[in-house]
Amino acid sequence: MTRRRWWLLALGVVCVAWVLGGEWVSIHRGVPENHFIDALGGLAFLAGGLIALDRRPGNAIGPLMIAFGMVGYFGNWGNLNLPVLPLLGVSIGQWAGAPILAQIALSYPTGRLRTTFDRVVVGLIYAGAIGICVVILLVFDPRSAGCPACAWEPAPFPSGPAYLAATSFYQRGGAVLALLFFLAVWLRFRRATPAERRDLTPLWVAVCVIALSYLVGAFASPSPLADPFAYLMWELQSLLQISLPVIFVWGLLSARLARSAVGDLVVELDRPLPPGELQASLSRTLRDPSLELLYARDGQDRWVNARGQPEPLPGPGAGPGARTVMVVERDGRPLAALIHDPALDRGLVRAAAAAAGMAIENERLHAEVRAQLEEARASRQRIVEAGDRERRRVERNLHDGAQQRLATLALSLAMIRDRDGADPAMAASLARASAELRQAIDELRELARGIHPAILTEEGLPAAVESLADRSSLPVGVVSDFDARLPEPVETAAYFVVSESLANITKHAHASRARVELSRCNGTLRVEVRDDGVGGADAARGSGLLGLADRVAAVRGSIRVETPPGGGTRVLAEIPCNA
Amino acid sequence: MPDPPAPAIRVVLADDSVLFREGLARVLADNGFLVVGQAADAEALHAVVGQAEPDVVVTDIRMPPTNSNDGLLAAQRIRAEHPGVGVLVLSQYVETRQAIRLLQHAPQRVGYLLKDRVSDIAEFAEALRRIARGGSAIDPDVVAQLLRGQGEDGVLAALTGRERDILALIAEGRSNHAICERLFLSPKTVETHVGSIFTKLGLLPAADDHRRVLAVLMYIRNA
Repeated sequence: MTRRRWWLLALGVVCVAWVLGGEWVSIHRGVPENHFIDALGGLAFLAGGLIALDRRPGNAIGPLMIAFGMVGYFGNWGNLNLPVLPLLGVSIGQWAGAPILAQIALSYPTGRLRTTFDRVVVGLIYAGAIGICVVILLVFDPRSAGCPACAWEPAPFPSGPAYLAATSFYQRGGAVLALLFFLAVWLRFRRATPAERRDLTPLWVAVCVIALSYLVGAFASPSPLADPFAYLMWELQSLLQISLPVIFVWGLLSARLARSAVGDLVVELDRPLPPGELQASLSRTLRDPSLELLYARDGQDRWVNARGQPEPLPGPGAGPGARTVMVVERDGRPLAALIHDPALDRGLVRAAAAAAGMAIENERLHAEVRAQLEEARASRQRIVEAGDRERRRVERNLHDGAQQRLATLALSLAMIRDRDGADPAMAASLARASAELRQAIDELRELARGIHPAILTEEGLPAAVESLADRSSLPVGVVSDFDARLPEPVETAAYFVVSESLANITKHAHASRARVELSRCNGTLRVEVRDDGVGGADAARGSGLLGLADRVAAVRGSIRVETPPGGGTRVLAEIPCNA
Repeated sequence: MPDPPAPAIRVVLADDSVLFREGLARVLADNGFLVVGQAADAEALHAVVGQAEPDVVVTDIRMPPTNSNDGLLAAQRIRAEHPGVGVLVLSQYVETRQAIRLLQHAPQRVGYLLKDRVSDIAEFAEALRRIARGGSAIDPDVVAQLLRGQGEDGVLAALTGRERDILALIAEGRSNHAICERLFLSPKTVETHVGSIFTKLGLLPAADDHRRVLAVLMYIRNA
């Protein structure tokens, strides 16, 4: 037992004495009411309040519950024929309960009133109650309240009619306060997250029924003891008030139930999970469909989901969209972040995270690997694209520079040759130079075309593939089911698949013809190159096929080579092209 | 050699290289052509063609503004807006597809040649004159590519070696008369060969010099 618990125990003993003593007074004085229900109401609130104080130290709900449970017994004690007590009984004992209950209802479960409107409503209810208590303390006259034999000293200005008028006015004014209270509850319900609604609905239903019964009772009669209907309402209030601490304890118990769900989680995690399944498991366990699980990257202040895709942590915020972030750490390093509904019990979230520790660590490693793979792929794609850009630039420079100059030079040589009167030896030299120059131009043209085919940039993949087929030394059939442009990296990768494959066929396949098929289906470009050659192509021979595989993988594609001996070779590349 | 009786053929040149344009202009002037305008890009070319009323336009395929196939597009537009103006497209690379597209668009008064063909001045001048007269000039590389693509066992296997030579010259856009001179054959012999080729390929022999180019090219391509 901690010191704190001793204090709680002492408080409990005092309160139990207060309740049972009050009940003893009522029985002794023959007050017509159900003493069992009356005592149970107070004790239930006391028990609930003590449990709340124990579990949630610092939370105002516990003290408020105990206060609510206790104030009603001023009424019981007021039946003692002693000074002051009867006055407190008819004032505090009768009227102080409602504002406390309103405060509990609107501040549950944190114990804090969240909005200004909530604070104003609770403040008004308190002000009303304090007002009526002050009036009663000033004007109450026990004789006019049906107890002529009572020997209490009266209030400073005893007046029966004034007392009746004041209580009647307050009860009717109380209807307005009750409506404000309902409005506050409704507003809070609208703002609440799904998890909050689940937790709070039973409480609010009970509180609203109680408030309604106050309202109905208020219009029935100003004096509950005089009217059977009002008496019934009063008993109903008592019964419902017992249910309130039960609901609160049930809330605690439901956290217990969720803790046993954490046990189920441990069992569930004792098998390999597909990626992303851990988030679903935690979401089920904590009953928060909006729960998200992000993983910390190694040595970086960045977060990724289970698929390794980067995602930002939500910043601290307020309002309906606010999320709570709980960072799971190991050895001081962040492992993962649970992003959950702010209404979830933090201890429970921590318990679930602890139970899922191994699985979280495991999935974080997977996510890390996926993120690194994706980074490597993106980096390869950037390298390939940079290379292609450079090739295009070189080709353009050759075209606009060297090739253009050589063409001009050829023209100049031709002009000199064309002139009459040149001596034959000079003419022969010029002719040789021209022939050399033409050879150089042809070679440069083939070089430039190999660096980057201009027609691919100008007219797209099908045209460029047809051009390849036109220049191939063996007949190549080309079939294409589209003529549209595709993203540049896709076109380039596909072009090199065809050109490399045709070069291989020419060199090694001993084929009589080849066929290229280009087709687009469901956002995937399919490139197929087939020949009727000897087959048995060796993927390891030269870097050609390997280089192709790298190129295609850089644009998230795949390549397959089927080459049965004697059965020709088939190269099939599939490249996603979201166009 | 200039043709004295006919008026000089009016030519507009388009190329983004001033050096090449000036050189070509001099060569053409020396060979009896009248260079009536020059342009450095496709837009300027359209303006010059509208004013200078040329017989033939010689344009590079790759020019500003996009440095892509602007020359080809300009050629098609000129053919559409000025049907009487012939167009000769020059390119650093010859692409069969581009040649066919040009011919399909307008089977007459067009040419498609490798850029360095200009250094064979006599041949180039002859091609220009052919286009001005309503004929066409297709680069021998294009024709060779097409013929090679048919392989050894295609329909063309039925032709004799001499017939293949003549088929290639027809595909380049040459007239029977030009084929006679080139192969040192009599007109009668050439006519016989041409008739034989058309019969073997199942083409209509009635096609005139201008239209038979496209017919032959399409036939070879689709064979």
